[in-house]
Amino acid sequence: MKLFNLSQQHIIPAEEADPVSLAELKEHPEAYAVALEPDESVEALRPFLAQITLVVLHFPIFRDGRAFTQARSLREYEDYKEEIRVTGHVLPDQAAFLRRCGVDTVVLSDDDDQTEWEAQLKRFTITYQQSIAS
Amino acid sequence: MKRLSHLSPDECVLLTAARLLDGRIVWRGQDGRWFDRVAQATCLTAEESAAALEEATAQAARQGVMGVYPVVARKGAPPQPVSMKEHIRAFGPTVHPEFSYAPQPEASS
Amino acid sequence: MKQPVGHYAYESRDREFLQERIAEFEDQVKRRLSGALSEEEFKPLRLMNGIYLQVHAYMLRVAIPYGILDSRQLRKLAHVAQRYDRGYGHFTTRQNIQFNWIALEDAPAILRDLAEADMHAIQTSGNCIRNITSDEYAGAARDELMDPRVHAEILRQWSTLHPEFTFLPRKFKIAISGSPEDRVAARFHDIGLLARPSENGPLFRVFVGGGLGRTPVVGQELFDSVPEAELLATLEATLRVYNAYGRRDNLYRARIKILVQTIGIEPFREAVKAELAKMDLSHYRLTPERVAAIRARFAAPELHAVDDADAVLAQHQKEDPDFARWVQSNTHPHFDEGYSIATVSLKTPGDIPGDVTAEQMDGLADIAERFAFSELRVTHLQNIVLGHVRKDQLYALWQGLKELNLAAPNIGLAGDIVSCPGLDYCTLANARSLPLARKLGARFGDARLQEEIGALSINISGCINACGHHHAGHIGILGVDKRGSEFYQILLGGQAGDHASIGAILGPALSEDDAVAAIARIIDHYLAHRNEQESFLEMVTRLGKAPFKEVAYETV
Repeated sequence: MKLFNLSQQHIIPAEEADPVSLAELKEHPEAYAVALEPDESVEALRPFLAQITLVVLHFPIFRDGRAFTQARSLREYEDYKEEIRVTGHVLPDQAAFLRRCGVDTVVLSDDDDQTEWEAQLKRFTITYQQSIAS
Repeated sequence: MKRLSHLSPDECVLLTAARLLDGRIVWRGQDGRWFDRVAQATCLTAEESAAALEEATAQAARQGVMGVYPVVARKGAPPQPVSMKEHIRAFGPTVHPEFSYAPQPEASS
Repeated sequence: MKQPVGHYAYESRDREFLQERIAEFEDQVKRRLSGALSEEEFKPLRLMNGIYLQVHAYMLRVAIPYGILDSRQLRKLAHVAQRYDRGYGHFTTRQNIQFNWIALEDAPAILRDLAEADMHAIQTSGNCIRNITSDEYAGAARDELMDPRVHAEILRQWSTLHPEFTFLPRKFKIAISGSPEDRVAARFHDIGLLARPSENGPLFRVFVGGGLGRTPVVGQELFDSVPEAELLATLEATLRVYNAYGRRDNLYRARIKILVQTIGIEPFREAVKAELAKMDLSHYRLTPERVAAIRARFAAPELHAVDDADAVLAQHQKEDPDFARWVQSNTHPHFDEGYSIATVSLKTPGDIPGDVTAEQMDGLADIAERFAFSELRVTHLQNIVLGHVRKDQLYALWQGLKELNLAAPNIGLAGDIVSCPGLDYCTLANARSLPLARKLGARFGDARLQEEIGALSINISGCINACGHHHAGHIGILGVDKRGSEFYQILLGGQAGDHASIGAILGPALSEDDAVAAIARIIDHYLAHRNEQESFLEMVTRLGKAPFKEVAYETV
């Protein structure tokens, strides 16, 4: 497992993160990392966000774009400034979309090629919408 | 699709796929190679087709084809797929005779 | 270069963007061919660039934003048809054009050629916001309240590679009209917008959750009067709710119409309002300056009508009854008395609805240049509209169309058949639709017969995905597969527009020939028993389907 850094922000190393689930978070108020399922609302994190420094969002398959809305909501509605990470099935072709929705890091497997991610991140110099990350 | 276990004596199974580069329809024929013309498709029994399908699927990526599946056809030269959809795939769109792939057999339905 | 009439003139950043998008797609093709991308991964990526794998080859669907083309672009489409396809293209019910015989390896080169004329295939498929459709009489019709195309362009740009809405549960179709007579079937779209002017700037009536397909639903009003400033915020909010809550477990339950139906329009509206309440609206504001900047990139036609245009036209009509018939069926009132809106029928009897050869495209491009400010509009009924034609020049225009074999006088009549490509070309289809369209077109091809029958829409789909909009036809036909054979269900009484309704199935499906005969008997019954001035649809509404069912099945 390795991380690809989309935003060039300071990130939490892969081996250090041990996210709890939303349900577990309520039992472990000291936790700083939480993993959200695609059907869980980011609003539920509100009481805990002050101490959270990592939110991990999940793609069951790359076509399931709910994490884009979750990430953007965290930034826009909850004013969350710390790291957002995505796991699961994501494609390098989604790099710029992830970045523009406020995602910082992508979990890749060790044999994934990072050059494709780097290329995709730089591909578009022109966009037609303002975004939360711009 | 017609079930492979209910073939009549004058029917057989062909294997078909689409070519990755141009999307064109291909038929599996001699030596497990893929051909443009249904006339070159190998007629298989239901039993033969199961093993051939497995082999063809395993080789598909290397042979530059995708979506391999079996088609029931009436035996003949060329063999004639039974369903309208496969008939169109074998012989071309019915509304553009100028684009037909092959002369259709007499008994075309 | 002069700015085009009727659509947005690209600036250098738009062209750079297209090049970046093409480079991305070229890279995706390379990764597919190398095996780095599986077909499962590549498919949604190629679809978002309009590339399907169809029955005989790859198919390329080129976007025609809000249906507007200029002559230069149509010539480029002719070039693509000639060089990379088989000399023709097919105009669809979504104001796009499809090429049926494309090789994947040629696709990047085709996209580069299209980009030379500021065209692309972006978001013509896939689970994203699709090409924005609009009113084919926009900016020309006498009854229009406001030209919707500036806002259609704003929506096109807003939806292009939107970072949050490119992997939606399912496709998302937006249509916009500025006419009181909803000419875009707003209630049959995921979002339909009806624009109108007000003292404080444009207002938008927003419909949500309409659509045809497997589960035909008439859209419901989400908001009555969204101000221009809040248009983008409202769309963002609606899409956010859909992206978060639309179903993803079942392909056939994933459209927004199912979400709206499941939770109800009131709770859906509350959810959209809750999003809006959380948003900083100033951030999403569509400013008058932004609208003005986009509007400045649209050229208006410089109209110079001649004084005696009506007299000249009347004289031509008197001298040539064939022309008079064409004027009767194929022209529509323009806001300028000296001009007409002319519709070019792509439904020549016996031909395939919507098919146009490369020669015809080049010919039409010339005609548009000569008579209509080089502007053409592709309609959702698979025809082409020339928005601004001087009345005194209609005769010369018509003669030009006759030479191209595109002068069928049948707009809105029985021969103006809408049809999907069906089983001959489409992998989803259960039955062929084009042979039936040709048979019906030939059967009712006689211009006098069509005139006698009057307003009639016939819509044919080869499967329940309903690309031929069969639910919305006065007579709808749905192809079904029964144990490997093709059969056709007949529906009666559908319509789009302000009184949108979904056609009712008449009875058991029939064979192709029986379906043609049954429709002929239905129309004969109408002709024999209609009240004075009563249209086919009015008679169906008055009597219900029972008497038509009786004649349809009488000899079967």
